[in-house]
Amino acid sequence: MQVPTQLNSGEVDFNMTPMIDVVFLLIIFFLVSSHLAKQEAQLELPLPTADSGETPVEANAPRVTVNVLADGTIKLAGKVTPANQLQARLTRKREDEGDDLEVRIRTDQTVPFRQFEPIMLACTRAGIWNVKIAVHRRQDVGR
Amino acid sequence: MKRSSIFARRHSELDVKMTPMIDVVFLLLIFFVWTASFQIVEQVLPSNLTAASGSQPSVDSQPPPPESDFDDIVIKVHWNAASQTPSWEVNDTSLDSLANVRDRLKTIGSIKRDAPIFILPDEDAPMLHVIDVYDAARLEQFPKVNLAIRDRE
Repeated sequence: MQVPTQLNSGEVDFNMTPMIDVVFLLIIFFLVSSHLAKQEAQLELPLPTADSGETPVEANAPRVTVNVLADGTIKLAGKVTPANQLQARLTRKREDEGDDLEVRIRTDQTVPFRQFEPIMLACTRAGIWNVKIAVHRRQDVGR
Repeated sequence: MKRSSIFARRHSELDVKMTPMIDVVFLLLIFFVWTASFQIVEQVLPSNLTAASGSQPSVDSQPPPPESDFDDIVIKVHWNAASQTPSWEVNDTSLDSLANVRDRLKTIGSIKRDAPIFILPDEDAPMLHVIDVYDAARLEQFPKVNLAIRDRE
């Protein structure tokens, strides 16, 4: 019969590989979940192009994104919102977030102006003056 | 015999295990692919909100126009649905290209840079062309570029 020796107990070594695997999986998990949280601002849209655009300051100031899709669908903070409910929702948002709330409008470049107008009008009536229109740099798009 | 068995064990400990290394390499690959940004850089144009009033723009005269004509600069963006082409009017002067609009704005800017600009697009005008005019006015460094919004209710 073989008696367990000290040598045997010393062979329990610490394997780092599965731990690295798990750590990386956790990193990827958190990356993916944070990425999904930012989806509303990154909805792929062919934005209008401009040369005079400014690099947005990603400060901690409250911001809400309004996406206007090619078919005219308006998405406020990721949720489809009829034009006639925009004002009420933006007003509530301003009351919650404060007067320095920024509204960033991301509109498909083919959308007619009449579908963009109600958003600007709703912002005015909701007392939001910090409205910005998202564009792509002309040199990046090549138009 | 005993010595040789020790050597054999030591030799086996030196084996490089490929599977965990491939695991880690793939995880690193996924990590870097995910974090790399393939999206086009996005910028913003600040806007001045103005509700359209009943005031009519002054009519432009022969160039060079007098300064008084630039109290308000009204740029209309028309959209021809049949030909799917835009056309422009700067203070009631029709222009057929965006380059002409830019030239016109340059001329006006050299006379009165602080003139407020109002952009009045047709309701069918695609945002692409509306923003083109907005951008052209900003590039000429007019301090007040306004998109006129009409209440259609």
